[in-house]
Amino acid sequence: MPETTPNVILRMGSHSEKEYIEKTLKQFDGIMVGANLLQISPGATASLLLKLHNASGRPYYLDPMTYAFGAYFDPESGKVRVDLDWIKSNQKVPGGKKGETVRKFKGSYRKLADSFGPPFSSALDAGKAVSYSDFSTDQIVDDACKSVISFQAERLRKVFSDDPETARFANDLPGPAALFAPYFYVERSRSKQWIELNHRLALSSTKQRKDIPIHVVVCCHLDLLGDPDLSAQVVGNLLACKPAGVWLWFSRFDERLASKEELSALRWWVEKLSPSMSVFNMHGGFFSLALSKFGMTGAAHGVGYGEQKDVVPVIGQSTPTVQYYVRALHAKYSVALITRCFSKLGVKGPADFFSKICDCPICKRIVGDDFNAFAQFGEIHYSTPMSRRAAQTPAAAKRCRYHFLLNRIIERDHVEKSAVADIAKECVVAAGTWSKTLIGSGAEYLRLWAEVLSADH
Amino acid sequence: MNKSRITGTKFYKESQLLEPVARFAKRKGFCLQKVELPFYEYRIDLYAFSRKNNATVAIELKLNDWRRALKQSLLYQLCADLVYIAMPESSVKRVVRAELQRNGVGLIAVLESGGCSCVLQAKEHAEVRQFYRLSQIEYLKGVASA
Repeated sequence: MPETTPNVILRMGSHSEKEYIEKTLKQFDGIMVGANLLQISPGATASLLLKLHNASGRPYYLDPMTYAFGAYFDPESGKVRVDLDWIKSNQKVPGGKKGETVRKFKGSYRKLADSFGPPFSSALDAGKAVSYSDFSTDQIVDDACKSVISFQAERLRKVFSDDPETARFANDLPGPAALFAPYFYVERSRSKQWIELNHRLALSSTKQRKDIPIHVVVCCHLDLLGDPDLSAQVVGNLLACKPAGVWLWFSRFDERLASKEELSALRWWVEKLSPSMSVFNMHGGFFSLALSKFGMTGAAHGVGYGEQKDVVPVIGQSTPTVQYYVRALHAKYSVALITRCFSKLGVKGPADFFSKICDCPICKRIVGDDFNAFAQFGEIHYSTPMSRRAAQTPAAAKRCRYHFLLNRIIERDHVEKSAVADIAKECVVAAGTWSKTLIGSGAEYLRLWAEVLSADH
Repeated sequence: MNKSRITGTKFYKESQLLEPVARFAKRKGFCLQKVELPFYEYRIDLYAFSRKNNATVAIELKLNDWRRALKQSLLYQLCADLVYIAMPESSVKRVVRAELQRNGVGLIAVLESGGCSCVLQAKEHAEVRQFYRLSQIEYLKGVASA
């Protein structure tokens, strides 16, 4: 059981998040950027990564996002989808009538596929997802791996060198901390085929580059966690391949909603793999950090939480409210709900708030000596005169995000210096304390975490 | 008259409960009213203020799911002196009143006739925060004078 120091990698979803990353990255352990973001704004992304590197010295990763070009099992319809609609958007028709749109591939993914070449580009040309059968020969696998890996290793340098004004910076930015092998989502109906393809891609990638560590992403349906045979097969493949690192991404796996069996299975994966390679959770939270006691190297998440992610994002929802993170619960809740819990928790004023809820610099500044100012985390407004629904103000969302990021640093450092038994005990105590409030049994996941962290495997 | 499968009454959407409940609240002196008053990310179905009694009331309309209504009502206690759940008469029968009573939440039955009957009085409680309450009253007054 190789206990490790927990790392938190911040994932940048869009350039609107750069302020948070610029201000906090020094205290985190790295940054991950999706290759689609790099393709849609190469100059801005490359400059930002250079700036961040110079300011923080933290490593970066480029997620090649190859899974986006593969098939997806739609749990709503129960069917495998290959239409790639999730990487399309409604776009204006050039020269068309006002409001006339056409549904086309997003520019970022189109450019990414073109950079990777076939079978990615040919799949988009055909309007159909990449299939495992597109990798019929080892040569195709090798070529795909070479282009995806080279993209990650060279793209930023090329962005700088292509522009005469920035060419002199081309060698200033070191390469990524690791290069990801191409990876695809293991959808349930063809799991064996996708597992096999991912293994071939991993094997080819690890053979191709020795100068930079090769990492592999296991991207699969949550069911795989509960399937001992398939889990054993994937773990066996990884141990045979021996990449420097593996990033686990069980689609829809949410630490707070997961069953004890799923949480235990995640621990099992970590314990099996960590003696041979670094293990990360691609979208994880506190529980993943606590698994560092069993070998998990770290977890990635966004600046506004993003501690779990479905392979295909739900499109068309309104912007969610950024809720307030309660460190004791390692979860976010609405400001109204937390406020309603204060009386049961004995929080009667700022001093109680700082000792029982949070004393991070953001909370100290906002709450100060006015207890009511806590409401600023949930402030709402009508964003336009035409708005029918009140929404959280950008300032309130910003407060919640910074508060979360600072708390995450505190949590990571706390996990590092605490014994696993103490972490488990704290979870149980918090579940008990908060069970008396309106949150009630809503914090029971903490007991499950404690059980899984305390169990003798 | 068609009857809703859920409630067994003519009420098949929550908004149908609004008019009788608003009339009822007005008769009780809560004349300054706002429908769907924002409270953080929630919207209170009916929030009203009685100048005479200097009291506020928040009313959650629900066709069937009283437990969900109770959860929301408890949050609304932060900004209202009195909090009620209003449901069709047929749904009221299924409510565990002791649970509402324990939390000081009242219950209004909306009758087929369009009338209302208070089957459980809401109690004033200690959860109300003047900061929120006064903000909501100011908002109501602002809306009324606009």
